[in-house]
Amino acid sequence: MRYDGARLADFSAAATDEGRGRMDLSFLLLVLGLLGTGVLMVLSSSFPRAYYDPGRVTGGNAAYYFVRQLLFAGLGVGVMLLASRLPMGFYRRYAFPFLILTAVLLALVPLIGVKANGSRRWLGVGGLTLQPSELAKLAVILSFSVLICRYRERMKTIRYGLLPFLGILGALVGLLVLEPHFSASVILLAVGAVMLFLGGVGVGWFAAAFAAAGTGLAVLLTFFPYASSRIMTWRDPFSSSSDEGYQIVQSLYTIGSGGLSGLGFGGSRQKYLFLPEEHNDFIFSVCCEELGFIGAALILSLFALLILRGYWIALHCRSRFSFLVCAGITTLLAVQIFFNVAVATNLLPCTGISLPFFSYGGTALLIQLGEMGIVLSASRDVLET
Amino acid sequence: MFPNKNPAPAGAVSPPNRQMLRRCAVLAALFGILLFVLLLARLFQLQILEHERYERLAMEQQLRDAPTAAARGRICDTDGNPLAVSASVDNVYLSPAEIQAYGEDPALIAQGLAEILGLDERELLQKCTQTGSWYVTVARKLEREQADEIRAFKNEYGLRGVRLETDTRRYYPNSSLACHLIGFVGTDNYGLEGIEARYDSVLAGTAGRTRRMTNAFGTDLLFEQFESFEPGQDGCDVITTLDTTIQYYVEKHLRQAVADYDIQNGAGAIAMNVKTGAILAMASLDDYDLNRFLEVGAQAQARIDAAQSEEERQELLRSAQIRQWRNKALSDTYEPGSTFKIITLAMALEEGAVSESSSFFCPGSVSVKGRSSPIRCWKDGGHGSQNLTQAVQHSCNAAFVNIGLRVGAERFYDYCEAFGFLEKTGDADENLTAVTGIDLSGESGSIWWSENTFCSPRNLSQLAAASFGQTFTITPLQLITAVSACVNGGYLMQPYVVQRIVNPDGTTASERQPTLRRQVISEETSARVRTILEQVVGDAKEGTGRNAAVAGYRIGGKTGTSEKVSLEAQTGVKQYIVSFLGFAPADDPKIAVLVFLDTPSNASGVYVSGGQMAAPVVGNMMADILPYLGVEPVLSEEEAARIDVQTPLLTGLSLTEAAGRVRDAQLRYRSIGSGDTVTDQLPAAGQSIARGTEIILYLGAEPSQDTEILPDLTGMDYEQARDTLSYYGLYLRTASPVGAAGEQKVGGQSVAAGTALDHGSVITVTLIDSDETMLGIY
Repeated sequence: MRYDGARLADFSAAATDEGRGRMDLSFLLLVLGLLGTGVLMVLSSSFPRAYYDPGRVTGGNAAYYFVRQLLFAGLGVGVMLLASRLPMGFYRRYAFPFLILTAVLLALVPLIGVKANGSRRWLGVGGLTLQPSELAKLAVILSFSVLICRYRERMKTIRYGLLPFLGILGALVGLLVLEPHFSASVILLAVGAVMLFLGGVGVGWFAAAFAAAGTGLAVLLTFFPYASSRIMTWRDPFSSSSDEGYQIVQSLYTIGSGGLSGLGFGGSRQKYLFLPEEHNDFIFSVCCEELGFIGAALILSLFALLILRGYWIALHCRSRFSFLVCAGITTLLAVQIFFNVAVATNLLPCTGISLPFFSYGGTALLIQLGEMGIVLSASRDVLET
Repeated sequence: MFPNKNPAPAGAVSPPNRQMLRRCAVLAALFGILLFVLLLARLFQLQILEHERYERLAMEQQLRDAPTAAARGRICDTDGNPLAVSASVDNVYLSPAEIQAYGEDPALIAQGLAEILGLDERELLQKCTQTGSWYVTVARKLEREQADEIRAFKNEYGLRGVRLETDTRRYYPNSSLACHLIGFVGTDNYGLEGIEARYDSVLAGTAGRTRRMTNAFGTDLLFEQFESFEPGQDGCDVITTLDTTIQYYVEKHLRQAVADYDIQNGAGAIAMNVKTGAILAMASLDDYDLNRFLEVGAQAQARIDAAQSEEERQELLRSAQIRQWRNKALSDTYEPGSTFKIITLAMALEEGAVSESSSFFCPGSVSVKGRSSPIRCWKDGGHGSQNLTQAVQHSCNAAFVNIGLRVGAERFYDYCEAFGFLEKTGDADENLTAVTGIDLSGESGSIWWSENTFCSPRNLSQLAAASFGQTFTITPLQLITAVSACVNGGYLMQPYVVQRIVNPDGTTASERQPTLRRQVISEETSARVRTILEQVVGDAKEGTGRNAAVAGYRIGGKTGTSEKVSLEAQTGVKQYIVSFLGFAPADDPKIAVLVFLDTPSNASGVYVSGGQMAAPVVGNMMADILPYLGVEPVLSEEEAARIDVQTPLLTGLSLTEAAGRVRDAQLRYRSIGSGDTVTDQLPAAGQSIARGTEIILYLGAEPSQDTEILPDLTGMDYEQARDTLSYYGLYLRTASPVGAAGEQKVGGQSVAAGTALDHGSVITVTLIDSDETMLGIY
């Protein structure tokens, strides 16, 4: 097995930043702007929970979550800058070892993972927790990009264009289902599908996949009452506003309360323990309440610009691998943002997906910023326009 | 691991092909634009279009509406003395959700609270663990001391799940005094009875509201982000017409009567300002302590304790409570009997149907058209020939049937309406009713035969019986209101208990003016009624009400003894309500007093009748009330010779000197010891005691510190009772005119027989005239 002939020596060359262009400044600034806003929003949204400490985590330290998030943000920026200096060949070379490492970690999760809310999704390492599913998303992007580059024209065939990819996806999703981790599986499948789409797989396959997914979903809803009650809650959260629908109802209250201009930064009332996960999966709801429609639209616009810039970088990549990685990471980012906001606004049934750069969570933030670093690295090699 | 044929040349940079770029552009459009447009549209819908709805729903859960209790107004007597006041107390409750959230120890809380409040620890522990609840009541209306203990306990352990809230508690400084009139409030501070109920909206004021932002636990936010305060309005003070002193006198003597005559079914009394209709006192027995209105009397409690099942106990308790809360003066209806003759007299005089010179002959019974048996007069053999005044003095039924017939049914019925006993509705076949409209809740209405029945020319029995107060029922309040009209110049007033409503700032919100309903009879007729009624009490020979006489005062009145006819018809049991309605001074009445005693025991030793039982009670009340009202007694020499005397100060005097003073004071003495100087005396100086009492002078000897058991004086004559008492070193006084009537006997004593008393105590007795020829149901 060979990895495009790159050698370890390239690493040191890259580290000294020789012979490469400047990274994309707009993309960097957008990331930093969103990250800064996100960290501030963690401060605002988390302090009541940190202060009242109903979960007995923070010891009543109102800045508990904020300080940790700030720390990880700083660390994450370092990771991003480091990642932006590594040459794309590095990622290509280590794509498969990384995939294998991810698979091993995922396999460990059901065995030694930290249990919360009936699922094991985290690995605990000395006070830090890590969701291997976050790594899996990157691993799929990198490994698929490598394979797509390798198979080129044969991507139209089933043997090359589908089977290896489905094998990887199947293995990872299988491990995720063991946790179980439904939302990560969906994202993984979505990202995988997008990679294959970019790789040139025939559109007919996607049509078939959508049809199969639709049928599967229908079967699931028919035979599994749990799933169908989820759908009921989604369609009419107010009918169960004290139990299943509680989260989403509170989120709608929170968003709706904001109005056009919001209650002002720090002014959320719903964060006073009414809204669950207010500094986490539902942090965007607090943004809406405090910053209003104007603020929320601004944040979404920044995200949209970031996404568009990501695709722009992808489209201007000289190498097919860089193109695929950039487009993949950008799509992953977009899918996560969309799922998070769609859930918060009850466009989609409730499931736990965090909002990149905003949701509290150290290792996830590190990984996300690392991914941005990879895009930035690719942006160094874009065609001058 | 993966198929790897025809690899790309190493190091060759192959750009993305056109299809890839095209597909990437599609993705950019989808993920970079389309989905964001979708999200923005959704946000626009939630935040702009549906903003108000969600904001309202969110506010509902975020805002705690805390009422800030308005101070309930006081209820005061006519002089401003408080009868009901509110004080701040604390309620203790648990917030199990917070106990859980903050990890507080339920066992510690349960133990601590159980210790302070004396509650069951297990039950408290259970309350502590009702997770999900924010409010579980532990104890309400705690006194400051206990509340402070709980605060200390709470602070010591930093307990957030134990919470206190301010509440108010009602205090009644006079306990049971005027309990039925004042009424009480429930735990939620709503008035449930009496003035508390009727004037609840005035007393309560309006609670203020503080709307606060809270967190999901219901506790305050870290920062006061949102708070609005609507100030409440404290309740107004209610100044009643009630006079605490008069109420006290009325209750004292009523209570004594219930004990003396062994009254079975309670008693009531009303004292009214004759001219205005203002209620000066209103009492009903059994009574209860307003501060503990749920507790019943000892007798009732004993019955409850003896009950077999819990259900029966509850049932007994409930009925005992209802019984003691019932204001008999307002809620009971009865056939008034002979007291109603005042009304018949007044209308007959006004209509000119009779005059003072009319004469009546009583053969002992009188036949009435439409009635199978003749109506009997209370006196066997009849009163013979009498003039109008004598007929009233004698309370002669035969004469009053005659008077009623002279008035005629239609006029009689019309006068009954004018006096407020009934209200015509236009339907002559309908039984009629009426109320006085007093500002109290719980007033019952009268029951009268329909106009067609009453006025039937073929059947005069209704009219005949109504002439002496039978065949209809009215409330005691209606009677005293109508009689007041008869003696105050003819003006029917609306009775009332609230004089003034005072704002929290001390200004008068409203002042009650006496309400004249109508003038029923002329001033002149009223004066004639007064004159005749004064003879009922004042005439020591012929007046059936002479036991109500008070030396030095001009009192008018009328006795009443009504048999419970319908009860006898149903059960065969003969029961009576004995009553007396008096007013004074007779020439210019200030006050009217009605006393009714429901079902006296036949075994009390006193003849069951209004004249024997109720009249002395009213006399005793008048004897206390009239001096208090500043009415000067006017004593004839004869009367002056009969009343009590004051003991002189004798200690320190020589025996000879003291003996002279004792003689001057119209007392006698015996001495104990052998010295020459009086070292002590019994009773002490300044006591009012019966004329001719033998007092004790100590000549060096030490007075005995023993107590004496009070003997039963009932049935003794005046001198006998006086001397029996002084033998024991106890002393007697009386308000009744001594020796004015024929044969007087002790009918009641202020302290029950068998009570241990200190030497020198003075007992007040009631003398009643027990002339055999004058005993009767009148």
